Amino acid sequence: MLVLVLGDLHIPNRCNALPAKFKKLLVPGRIHHILCTGNLCSKETLDYLKTLASDVHIVRGDFDKISSTYPEQKVVTVGQFKIGLVHGHQIVPWGDPESLASLQRQLGVDILITGHTHKFEAYEHDGKFFINPGSATGAYNPINKFVIPSFVLMDIQSSTVVTYVYQLVDDEVKVERIEYKKN
Amino acid sequence: MPTMSKSGSMSPLEDQDKLLDEALSVVKVQALQMKRCLDKRKLMDALKHASTMLGELRTSLLSPKSYYELYMAICDELQHLEMYLLDEFQNGRKVADLYELVQYAGNIIPRLYLLVTVGVVYIKTNEQSRRDILRDLVEMCRGVQHPLRGLFLRNYLLQCTRNLLPDLAENDPLATESYGNVRDAVDFIQLNFSEMNKLWVRMAYQGHSRDKERRERERQELRLLVGTNLVRLAQLDSVDVELYKKVVLPGILEQVVSCRDALAQEYLMECIIQVFPDEVHLDTLHTYLKACAELHTDVKVHVILVALVERLAAYGQRQQALGQPPIPPHIPLFDIFSDQIGNIAQARPEMPSENLVSLQVSLISLAFRCYPEKINLVDKVLESTLVALDKIAVEKVDFDSALGKELNRLLRMPISHYNSLVTLLQLPHFGQVLQRLDFNGRKSVALHLVNNALDNETYITTQEHVDAVLNMLAPLICDQPDQVLTGQDAEDFAEEQNLMARMIHLLAAEDTDLDQQYRMLTSARKQFGAGGARRIPFTLPPLIYEAFKLARKYFDVRQEDELWEKKCEKIFTFCHQCIAALVKAELAELPLRLFLQGALAASQIIFGTHETLAYEFISQAFTLYEEEISDSKAQFAALTLMAASLEKLDCFSEENSAPVRSKCALLASALLRKPDQCRALILVSNLFWSSTTKELEGKPMRDGKKVLECLRKAGKVATECLDPGVQAQLIVELVNVYVHFFHQGNQHITVTHINELISKVRQDLLPQLENSDEKELIERHLGASCEMLRHRRDNPSTTSDTPSYQGIILD
Repeated sequence: MLVLVLGDLHIPNRCNALPAKFKKLLVPGRIHHILCTGNLCSKETLDYLKTLASDVHIVRGDFDKISSTYPEQKVVTVGQFKIGLVHGHQIVPWGDPESLASLQRQLGVDILITGHTHKFEAYEHDGKFFINPGSATGAYNPINKFVIPSFVLMDIQSSTVVTYVYQLVDDEVKVERIEYKKN
Repeated sequence: MPTMSKSGSMSPLEDQDKLLDEALSVVKVQALQMKRCLDKRKLMDALKHASTMLGELRTSLLSPKSYYELYMAICDELQHLEMYLLDEFQNGRKVADLYELVQYAGNIIPRLYLLVTVGVVYIKTNEQSRRDILRDLVEMCRGVQHPLRGLFLRNYLLQCTRNLLPDLAENDPLATESYGNVRDAVDFIQLNFSEMNKLWVRMAYQGHSRDKERRERERQELRLLVGTNLVRLAQLDSVDVELYKKVVLPGILEQVVSCRDALAQEYLMECIIQVFPDEVHLDTLHTYLKACAELHTDVKVHVILVALVERLAAYGQRQQALGQPPIPPHIPLFDIFSDQIGNIAQARPEMPSENLVSLQVSLISLAFRCYPEKINLVDKVLESTLVALDKIAVEKVDFDSALGKELNRLLRMPISHYNSLVTLLQLPHFGQVLQRLDFNGRKSVALHLVNNALDNETYITTQEHVDAVLNMLAPLICDQPDQVLTGQDAEDFAEEQNLMARMIHLLAAEDTDLDQQYRMLTSARKQFGAGGARRIPFTLPPLIYEAFKLARKYFDVRQEDELWEKKCEKIFTFCHQCIAALVKAELAELPLRLFLQGALAASQIIFGTHETLAYEFISQAFTLYEEEISDSKAQFAALTLMAASLEKLDCFSEENSAPVRSKCALLASALLRKPDQCRALILVSNLFWSSTTKELEGKPMRDGKKVLECLRKAGKVATECLDPGVQAQLIVELVNVYVHFFHQGNQHITVTHINELISKVRQDLLPQLENSDEKELIERHLGASCEMLRHRRDNPSTTSDTPSYQGIILD
């Protein structure tokens, strides 16, 4: 099962579009679920995601309107995995691994997905998996000087998830592979 | 011979079917008889039957469609006759005086069809002079002056002689007197063509004036019959360019012009374009165009010209692809057409202007395909269009009108072709033509422009270009005097403005010219400001972010620019002013977030006044919070961001930082709902732990006492929540927070604190809860937390900087 994980696009305030080379890779019909960390921030971008997959989950980012119907956090089950989804601006200090672990315990999830820092992360901690897909557009972040456009594709097969991270470095798409087994 | 239908109750269509069926059955019977006679070698009898069969073609009652079916059926049968005769001749059994024999057929139609058939046999067997026979036949057909019957007869002649024309050059040794040469072939076809055209034109005058429409339709159905003559001329291999120029084309054009029939002229002029090769058109343009000018006023000359230009443009493109020059340099193709279009406009003042514009459209297409580097030609076309519009003296062209649609087409062409805003700006008349459209038209073009720019990522790199482009996009940027201000769907409006917002990121000067970028942003700001409160929430934020990016760029190259600090200051002032404008437009949540972003951005760029600026930004955020944000949910969200941002701001002195921290704590306590208060206080506690100040030089504050104070307050607030479930949830969260600081070395926090909290939940709160999902969640959360604690207690770390969890009570 393919799960697309992305967020922090900030269209149109900080960026005008998803990088063309990413758009070419994201073909409708192959992705089963989309987990979006938030900060899209326009209806057109949401509509675009909906063309890629029918099951789209989004949580509220700090630049999504309060009035929007996106929840602050979400827990979805895909295959054998319970996955938590939160934008991450609510976790102080931003990006702090201990605080993220705390949230993971609270939600009782196997995989916790957060965003906000515009920095890709994928690591195991205490037997649980933490993913930050970064910013799919490489959007400006005032405290992160070196933002690289990135997104994540999870391939979930029974108790293993293989995570592919796609990064746009010097206008070339680079892919890395990380495996996580649920114990 | 079909008789007049007696039953008046059948419809005309059914009448036709009945008549046709009757005729076809006669044909069938007679053809069968004819073949039987031929089998028995009784030629005269066969000819009699053939004649009877051909008599069906004498009818006046069939429509062209039905007549055609009848004709085809009979032609099929005549083939048998032709083959029989050929066979006889080739086996030496010449039929004597066959030509004379068939002349005895009673009526002229059967007689002539048989003569043609026999003539063809004679040609194929080289019996007599090919040349003479052909000339005879084409002359003889004059005997039938009825338009429909004559057309089909002559078509029969043309089809039968398809491969028999003397297609040989005049100096070819095989082109004997008897055989003939290509001139004879040309003469044959041209005479046939003239006669057919005359018949075709005559059809227009047959019958009642009320049937005019039906006659026109019927004439259209028959046009291929006439056009085939031209096809035949084009198929003559031996016609060289000279012959075409001197004889063939003038001959055709003379007939076309002199017939003075609009339907014929329109069809035939286009036929000429399609049928003859493009190289030859290039050589005979003047002749052809001169004829165009002489056509009947009802002829849609512009359609003909568009077809011709299109053809030559495609030719030019193909030549280029083959590495040849698109158009031979001695032919000023563009000028020829440009002048011609001007002539036509003058000669036909009543021609609707949209037709004129469609000609301009084809001219631009020509310019693109044959003279791609000559941008000035495109501008010339736009200029002529402007002149034409001046002549009709219309203020603003209605978008929905035919003229509006053509103008729209015209303007979109350079946009879609060049895919470059910069190139577009080199067409001075583009903007002027654009201004002639009404609001909807200008907006449509503007949207096309923006979408094109976004799809092609075409960057704008100078301030002059920014001004020029934004001028063209005026309908999207601010209210226009001719705009109807109500009725637009809010979603559509948002979509348009989002497009504009995205476009702002295409404003990018060269990286080596940051000053230019600043000028571009400030210039754009002025234009977008005119958009008013409806639009600036969309358009100012992207400008603000581009400004943030620019400030960072100045910082990155600060070694090369001694004025960089002042410039950064100006940029942040600019941002401040933009955000303030959003506040004036009665927004609160967005400007608050932008102020926080500005504070963070300023803190990272170390220039003289950056601390002051960051402080200004953050205090504006706090002011907005207090004055404008009253919704509880919004307050909690905003306060979260304020505290979180403050935690990351490292540029403040303790003197500036302390009051802001205290303010945060105060605001946390002042939230309406207890759970919000509790969680906000937890967030604020971080400000005393991991944040830093200038004096600390990046080292975290680690004020453990203050942290504990916050957490105690949070705990107290939690206990004030009446709902035990809510309380329990909050306290489990607190447990984790206490552990978090404990683990990082806060010495004011002890194992006892943690035990107390766990015990409170376990002993006091959980028992009060009914079994439910909520209880399960809390138990699971507590369980996971205790798991973690157990692990830490029972597996003490060997490194010295983690505390001991000895004494944690978990059961």
